[in-house]
Amino acid sequence: MGFYVRFWGVRGSIPTPGPRTRRYGGNTSCIEMRSDTTVLIFDAGTGLRELGVSLMRNPPRAGLDLHLFLSHPHWDHIQGFPFFGPAYAKSTTLTVYGSEDNENYQLLSGQMSNAYFPVAFKDLSARIVPKAFENDVVQAGDFVVKRFEQKHPGGSSGFRVEHAGRVAVYATDSELDQLLTDPASPQKTPRSIRRLPTSLITAVKKADLLIADAQYTDEEYPQKVGWGHPRANTVVDLAIQAGVRQLALTHHDPMQSDRDVDAKVLTATERAQAIGAELEIFGAREGVTLRLDRP
Amino acid sequence: MADRRTTTIDEEVPQTMMTRLPASFKPRPRRVHALEQTAGPGSPARHELTADTLVVGRGSAADLRLDSDDISRTHAQLMRQDDEYTVEDLDSRNGVFLNGLQVHAAVLRDGDQVQLGDVVFTYVEGA
Ligand SMILES: [Zn+2]
Ligand SMILES: [Zn+2]
Repeated sequence: MGFYVRFWGVRGSIPTPGPRTRRYGGNTSCIEMRSDTTVLIFDAGTGLRELGVSLMRNPPRAGLDLHLFLSHPHWDHIQGFPFFGPAYAKSTTLTVYGSEDNENYQLLSGQMSNAYFPVAFKDLSARIVPKAFENDVVQAGDFVVKRFEQKHPGGSSGFRVEHAGRVAVYATDSELDQLLTDPASPQKTPRSIRRLPTSLITAVKKADLLIADAQYTDEEYPQKVGWGHPRANTVVDLAIQAGVRQLALTHHDPMQSDRDVDAKVLTATERAQAIGAELEIFGAREGVTLRLDRP
Repeated sequence: MADRRTTTIDEEVPQTMMTRLPASFKPRPRRVHALEQTAGPGSPARHELTADTLVVGRGSAADLRLDSDDISRTHAQLMRQDDEYTVEDLDSRNGVFLNGLQVHAAVLRDGDQVQLGDVVFTYVEGA
């Protein structure tokens, strides 16, 4: 069985190393989900480098068989790829999932063109295989992954990941606040629940774990409208409407120190409590592994 | 415009005269981190983490023994990598909690609260 989720990069926009961010971590987006037989990787931000180091430490005899899903090709979601050790190992098979025209594959290889990086994509030793979703669903090892559209400049994909009767949703870079059925409600009635479209609620429905972009506080957001990221409090409301069990706030803003993230988590928790929801909220943190298939 | 004439280093670049470390430089020793037990049987106690791997549990095979019915015989493992410890749940009955969140594993940071059953530790990084 086994359904493990590990955070390798939880920062938004740009890596933020240093003492201010040491506890939650400064690497950009990268999440690993694994069963006993399959390894899925969501996004290739700078956190991917350390995931690569960890995977290369004891690779299976037959070589690594990895499945890579990209939410979208903004820098903070692809920048780790050229430093991903397993991509240089002949024995690795890396399946890269995308649309029919496999735009993701093109864009991954594009960032390794000569002017940006010394090694060309075609010179990577691993077997790199593009694979398309069919009607937004794909089987990857013993996982089923469903893709859904999100609100972000240039577009982004969310992923609903199912295994062993458990569900994790990875939904980053999504400006929920631009999808509100009543966009004025956060100002008019800040304390009442912010309604989101049914299609989105269905995509997230009853997730055991929702890992969601929660970049901004309510105070920060008015200066960032249209930048493609939501208010953390709106994410809480999505989780509540969808009956989610656990919510991991991620894509922390580069300006947020560890204590700022603590404060954001606390505010989100207070909101869920005020609404009366049974929802566990925490700040996604590098180096933490959860197990979803606990009884 | 830049002068493209090639020169040898000797001619123009000021050089360090000799290889010498600043007098006070010395490589830092390996830091010793600790678990300070603040609740549960045996507390308060301070356990310095010197081994690269240690098992925490109720059983006689455990390196750090905790005499509580809440604790499984082999409850959790601590593993050192470079300067950090990772705690991992060894399929314990009551689980491992990091700052209140149940985790399978976690890289620990200074000040983290680690709870196993009724036993609570604060992880303290050495200087
Ligand atoms: Zn991003
Ligand atoms: Zn983006």
